[in-house]
Amino acid sequence: MFHLLNFVQWLNDTRISVYLRESDWPFPIIETVHILGLGFSVGTIMWLDLRLLGLAMRDAPVTDVIEQLEPWAIGGFAVMFVSGSLLILSEPLKCYNTVAFRIKVVLLILAALNVLYFHKRVMHNVEEWDRLMPWRAKLVGILSLILWLGVVIAGRWTAYF
Amino acid sequence: MTFGRILPGWFFALCEYSWPGSWFKHAQWFFAIDETFHIMALGMLIGTLVIVDLRLLGFGMRRQSVSQLAGYLGRWTIFGVAMMIATGIPLFMSEAEKLSKSSPFFYKMVFLTCAITLHFTLHRKATAPGAMPGSGLGKLAACLSLFCWLGVALAGRAIAFL
Repeated sequence: MFHLLNFVQWLNDTRISVYLRESDWPFPIIETVHILGLGFSVGTIMWLDLRLLGLAMRDAPVTDVIEQLEPWAIGGFAVMFVSGSLLILSEPLKCYNTVAFRIKVVLLILAALNVLYFHKRVMHNVEEWDRLMPWRAKLVGILSLILWLGVVIAGRWTAYF
Repeated sequence: MTFGRILPGWFFALCEYSWPGSWFKHAQWFFAIDETFHIMALGMLIGTLVIVDLRLLGFGMRRQSVSQLAGYLGRWTIFGVAMMIATGIPLFMSEAEKLSKSSPFFYKMVFLTCAITLHFTLHRKATAPGAMPGSGLGKLAACLSLFCWLGVALAGRAIAFL
């Protein structure tokens, strides 16, 4: 029978995990990279969302904004994902036991589903959005803003508990 | 270099122990909540800068002109900076004496001063309507802007570790 806690315990005791946890420099460096990745990904995702909501860059066609910002959002996300995985690796047990971290994981999964929903169900008639923005696109925008806000808050609070 | 070597000790004591500072210091959750807003403002600010500066360098939203993007996002940059300063002052006051001895904090303020000055001078000129697209001035402004803000973020993060 597989128990997540056993896996986390094993991960916590691996040499790489102990090394990341006990040496001085890796953690601050990785965390700094993580925050810079946040600036790029959340920073660009947020403007995509605000465009979907019609609150920013209203004169720019929505397809322009999506096509041109998405690569940067994905790039920033990749940086966050890799650096975030290393941060988890540095203290697996602590993350496992922290409520804020569990909430963060749930919010990240919801954010991923939101993006999936956007691409599979909402974006098919994107060419027409400059005349009329569908309510579903606005819904995706507001959900994305709320979820990423939650991810940042839960992430920051993981460090406090 | 630190602020403790420039400013008198009573200034930091006043910040930390007089009424709003001591409230910030002792109110439960305040520091955590305020810091969360500080990071959110950072995300917003970096987002606007990256979009405009990358465009100045010829990346990102190339179908829009530099001045168009700066027009959309310029006031959000100011809003982001204002929110960072507004949330940053209580963070400073709640641990002024510690920060008076912190050299990363000193360099963070140096970078911040440079970044804000740059934003209202060279950067503004490079993003004004009718600015030459792909000009050396624009690229210089973008590189300096990214460098200064990166410095603010890195030095800021380093405060917690050094």
